[in-house]
Amino acid sequence: MKMEQDENNSKLNCVQALHESNDSEERFAILQKSWASDAFFAPDSQKIYLDHNATAPLAPWLKSTLSESLESWGNPSSIHWAGRKSKEILRTGRKEVAQFIGASPLEIIFTSGGSEANNLALRGVYDSLAISQDQNFKKRKKWITSKLEHPSVLETLKSLQKKDPELEIEYIKVHRGGKLDWDHYSQLIDENVAVVSVMLANNETGTIFPIQKMAEIAHQQGALFHVDAVQALGKIGVDVQNLGVDLASFSGHKFYSLKGAGFLYCRKGTQIERQISGGGQERHRRSGTENILAIQSMALMCRHKQDLPNFSSQMTQLRDQMQSKILKQIDHVQVNGGQADRLPNTMNITIEGVDGESLLMNLDLKGFAVSTGAACSSGSPEPSAALMAMGLSHQEAQSSLRVSLGWGTSSEHIDHFVETLVKVVERLRKVTKESLH
Amino acid sequence: MNNSKNTSDSNNKGRVLVAMSGGVDSSVAAALLVEQGYDVIGMTMQVWDYTSCDIEEGNGTCCSSIDVDDARAVADRLGIPFYVANCESKFETHVIAPFVDSYLKGQTPSPCVNCNTYLKFDHLIRKMEELECDYLATGHYAQLKTLPDGSSAIVTSSDGWKDQTYFLFTLKPDILPRLLFPVGDWEKPQLRKYAEEKGLVNAAKKDSTGICFVGKKGYGQFIEERVSKDKLDEKKGVIRRYPSGEVMAEHRGIHHFTLGQRKGLGMDYHETLFVLKISADDNTVWVGDEEYLFSKKIKLQETNWLGDFDENEKLKVKIRFHHKGDWAKIRKENGEAYIEFDRPQRAITPGQAAVVYRDSHLIGGGWICPESLETPSIQ
Repeated sequence: MKMEQDENNSKLNCVQALHESNDSEERFAILQKSWASDAFFAPDSQKIYLDHNATAPLAPWLKSTLSESLESWGNPSSIHWAGRKSKEILRTGRKEVAQFIGASPLEIIFTSGGSEANNLALRGVYDSLAISQDQNFKKRKKWITSKLEHPSVLETLKSLQKKDPELEIEYIKVHRGGKLDWDHYSQLIDENVAVVSVMLANNETGTIFPIQKMAEIAHQQGALFHVDAVQALGKIGVDVQNLGVDLASFSGHKFYSLKGAGFLYCRKGTQIERQISGGGQERHRRSGTENILAIQSMALMCRHKQDLPNFSSQMTQLRDQMQSKILKQIDHVQVNGGQADRLPNTMNITIEGVDGESLLMNLDLKGFAVSTGAACSSGSPEPSAALMAMGLSHQEAQSSLRVSLGWGTSSEHIDHFVETLVKVVERLRKVTKESLH
Repeated sequence: MNNSKNTSDSNNKGRVLVAMSGGVDSSVAAALLVEQGYDVIGMTMQVWDYTSCDIEEGNGTCCSSIDVDDARAVADRLGIPFYVANCESKFETHVIAPFVDSYLKGQTPSPCVNCNTYLKFDHLIRKMEELECDYLATGHYAQLKTLPDGSSAIVTSSDGWKDQTYFLFTLKPDILPRLLFPVGDWEKPQLRKYAEEKGLVNAAKKDSTGICFVGKKGYGQFIEERVSKDKLDEKKGVIRRYPSGEVMAEHRGIHHFTLGQRKGLGMDYHETLFVLKISADDNTVWVGDEEYLFSKKIKLQETNWLGDFDENEKLKVKIRFHHKGDWAKIRKENGEAYIEFDRPQRAITPGQAAVVYRDSHLIGGGWICPESLETPSIQ
């Protein structure tokens, strides 16, 4: 009981200390301490989470604030006292989120997450195109994307194409190193393009794409540009003005917030048709009572703009250390997407002669959460489509491992992980060798 | 944290990978192992993309997502780690493709044997090694016994009706010491009661019957959906009366017939006629009186033996899963074998397995060749 109280106190202290401090180094130290006090992120934790691209844990210092917010259960659309409290959270949240990405509050549409934001962007534009008065825009039938996109982009485009067989989907070629083929992209761009949808950073390899440059040439031809920025939040800074995009999707749970909230940035003047109609929330662009608690958690994380560079460089350092240790201690390992710009936290490797599925299970049994390919709802991993699109063989993709670090990852975690990985790989390779005899 | 339990724990009997289908048998197998003090890991093989089939989920077949969920729920209940292994392509190559192929050759396949040979006791054996397990356990109704000479033998289940040793004849003797069949000495009603007591979600779930991947549409349609029309057209032919050779009707493909079948021949006739032989060479389906369905001799191919025997020894042979078994002598020859029964057997069916027993001990078996059928031949 006392320990619990102490813990709560230390969390409150952390929040207060953050509130009072404007010094980056001091803040960084406070946040690191907060992570180290979390059961799963303590340096000596037996369970080590290295799968932040799948989802991130709730930032430990948010817990006390959010538990207070459980009292704000009012419907933000109500005019009475209960509603006002929630409305206030929503309004502040919208402002904080907007500031974090360099947008204005009215350009933010809260959604249930990244998938919904991607759906809203693409279907919303498609529907607005259909009723557009602009005949020149209306006749555009070409949609450009890449095979590296999240299924919520690829499947949405396919379903639009099913409804409208005239719609053409062009996939930008991908180099084996993980980069998009610029020449191919510039050839594809013409006055027939309606929308380009490309992610800011790939979830599996961490490769960052040159969105600013891509949006520029798309705009020269009058096309709209949508970026799926879900993987970028909390890893690299995102400024939608700099990127020059029309639409951008974000998700809270990749950014140490609660699941169930995300948002779409929709640049002022960009026409999208709503996909959920009802009570007219989000200025009629997305109906449904808002998920106040999750939105608040996301907004609270957006207060950490000045802390992000510190965490980014910590993750880069740890990731690079981990990568060089692995390459030194395990032979026949290739880094996937390593030749391009990468997110600071992501490493994707192919370990020859090892089945990714078995590797994952072994690591899990030893307490390490990592991933192979993308997390799949059935729980039965398929070789990563993105790696295959990069030109890896089925075998190479099958032998891949994704390790994604977070704000709470420490050098102890990395050392412990590498040590275990070396042993597991050695044993799995032995089994493979024996089974061949 | 006890997430890294290992075999050196004093009260630990070793680590077991248990194959969990989501059915009650393998669930109880897992529960028993936990109770007995093993360090247990559960695994379900995802063999089939359930979104593409019409099988009603959770009806006791072994491939639907509800079954995966049931297995997961049981594992959670038991507090053991649980994984889904993706086996879709292996299942396609080693079970589905040979199944379809067998029907197109006019035979009647036994896909469960292949699933055991290539998935449960190959893929999962590999997983067992990879996950540092000492044993692989399944929910088969079969028992393992250690013989006086130290070797292991597979023995029929105490539940004679449920006994599944027929499906295990391809197992290699050297893996037997690594296997566990925890429910092999249980009877079904007792097992269900135990599952209920343990609060396992599937205690009352229907037993899996029939072929897990075919579904309600039946195997004929399953094959038609997977084979090109041209190839199916090549399988059309005529139904002839044995022994006269008289053409009685045309048929829409030999894959619609099974030896001994008497319904659904697509023709009206005043006598009851049985399918006697399906000739893949000219797509002729021979029909006639039941007496011609009986024969004594079988030729076996791709044999596998778990125990030794003498050419003159009388052994019990089962020619299909639900066959009671009958006395025969067996002669081995270069990986093949010749069986001669004491008494004629009804509908010895190419594509099925003939499995050999000495008392309750599984000795081995092989696949019944089309050449086994002496009658009818064109006169």
